[in-house]
Order: sequence, then C-alpha cells, then structure tokens
Amino acid sequence: MPKIKKKRLGFVIDMTPMVDVTFLLLTFFMFTAKFKTEAEAEQKFVIKRPYASADTSKLPDKDIAIIKVGIDTLTGDTSYYYTIVNELQRRQVYDNLNFTPDQRKPQLKVSLDLLDQLIMQTRITGPRTRFAIDGDRRIRYKWIEDAIDVLRKNNATAFNFVTEKRQ
Amino acid sequence: MAGGGGGLELPERQRRGKKHSKRTKKKRLGFRIDMTPMVDIVFLLLTFFMYTTTMVTPQVMEISVPKEVEENVEVNQANLFTLYVRGDGKLFFSMGTDEPQPLALSDLRSKAVELNLLRKNKLITAFKPSPDAPYGVVVQVLDILNQAEAEIIRQLQAEGVKRERKFAFVKLSPEEVEKLKGL
Repeated sequence: MPKIKKKRLGFVIDMTPMVDVTFLLLTFFMFTAKFKTEAEAEQKFVIKRPYASADTSKLPDKDIAIIKVGIDTLTGDTSYYYTIVNELQRRQVYDNLNFTPDQRKPQLKVSLDLLDQLIMQTRITGPRTRFAIDGDRRIRYKWIEDAIDVLRKNNATAFNFVTEKRQ
Repeated sequence: MAGGGGGLELPERQRRGKKHSKRTKKKRLGFRIDMTPMVDIVFLLLTFFMYTTTMVTPQVMEISVPKEVEENVEVNQANLFTLYVRGDGKLFFSMGTDEPQPLALSDLRSKAVELNLLRKNKLITAFKPSPDAPYGVVVQVLDILNQAEAEIIRQLQAEGVKRERKFAFVKLSPEEVEKLKGL
C-alpha cells in the first residue's frame, strides 16, 4: 500500500483541567474586583502614596471625606481635591453651598478657602464623617500642614493619612 | 457504511450502527463537548478582570491633633525630644534646648525607645517637619515612631508602668528653618 498521510481530523485535547483552573481564577478575580468610583475615573493625577509598614487598618469606604493632594500629570501643579464618598451627603453639602450644576462634580479641585467651607458643611451634614488626607509622597509638607490646620479649625482633630504598605 | 468502522470514526458511532445494540442502554463513553467557545469567553473575562484589579488596598495611619487653643501650654524643656525634618529629607533631633544634631532614619527607632525608657512617661516628643520637607519622609518618621511605640509599651508594661504617649506636631519657626539650613 502506498503511504497515506494520516490526517488528524478529529484531534481533540481534553480541556477539562484547564477549564477548571481558569474558572477558579476567573471567579477569584471577579469576587475580588473593586471598580473605580466615579471620582477616581475622572481624576487627572496619580497619587504615589507614602510608604509605611503593614497596618491592619484599611481605608473605610463609607462615611468618609478624602482630601487629596495630587500632582497633575500634565501641568505638574500641586493642588487640593476634595471628595465626599457618600452621595447623599455630597448633594446636601453642595446644596448648602449653592453650587452651580457644573460645580457639582464628585471630586472637586479646591482652594484652601473652599476646602474650609466644604469641611465645615461636611461636619454639619454628617458629624460622624471621618476625614482622610491622601497626599503624594513627593509633595512638600506645607501642603499637608495647611490641610491639617483647616481640619483643626473645624474641630476635626482625628483623621487619617492614607499610606501604602511597604513591599 | 456506518458499521464499517473506518479508522477515523469515533467509537460511539461504530456502536450505534450495530443492529443488536438497539435495546441495550446507550453507553456514552467517549462523550465530549466542544469547550473551545466557552474557553474563549472565559479567558477573555479572566484577562479583563486580571488587568482591572488592583491588588493593593490603601491603608491608613491614624493621626490626632489637639484642638485649637489660644494659650500656650508650658512644658518642661528638659523632657522635650524634638525631631526635625529638613527640606532635603534629612532628620535631626535635639534634647531640651540643645542644638539639633543629625540622626539617621535607621537609628530613630532605637533612639526613641531608649529615651522613652529612660524618662518613662515624662518625655514629650515634638515633631517639627520643615514646610519644605518631603511628605513621604514625614510619614516614614511617624511610622518609625509608631513602631517604636509598640516596643515602648511592651517594655514599660514589664516594669508595671502604664504608657501615656506624649506626642505633638509643632510648627517650625522661621528662625529654626534658617538654623536647620545652616547645619
């Protein structure tokens, strides 16, 4: 008989183990996924947080107002940004300050004066709201010092510094 | 044709063709589903979730500052342990009214523990970061002091003393800023 090349037509690999592992990973990543908030999605800076040793206290995700001090990636300017995580409270604060519709962003670029007003309103609308300062490790301490002074002025004497675990 | 059983035929098809096997229960031995489309989708989703997840959740460091008070509080200068951070990130310390001396970040922990154990709860730590000091270093110093605190509490507990932490952020006066620059 002449040589006939064997055609591997019905060639099948058993994919079951691979599918098992893939599904396991998929479910793991799906359950651990935490999506960016509206405020984070539109911010134009990345905060390189200061390193600290491992700590069990995590940043709470509700009843918190975050003062971010970031360096704009395009212009290189440092400025304050303010976010109230609770949407209901945010609306209340903006109402109290008579904000125009285009000022009602989830994350505001603020001056120190406006930060003062915002913090005061945040304290009024939610006395239990906690404050966190999320600063870039490269900025001068002056920025943080001024933010602390504003917090102190509004009687918010206990707050948090957001840090990153040192690897 | 079906019973012929060519080399390429799958085993179940051979069996199906046999007439006497009509009544016997169909054994699905080599039963297979084509998983390729499912695997495609699963991999797509997996890569999506892998790229979008951030593994590091930020942690926080608790800070408390005293309320704004008008009058100054008198402290015993001798028990004052002052830490300075200069604009270039260098750390300095002074005891009481002494001149500030340079201190390596790696020595801070042992220094803080040693001084606190020596003066028990009387020692007041004043932290004076210069306004142009990098924030990262400031947090690093706070972190080291927090680590030292754990050891101080443990050691004092062994002596039967309850720890009262005395720590404060203090603003640097313009004269002190100038003095630090000259060091």
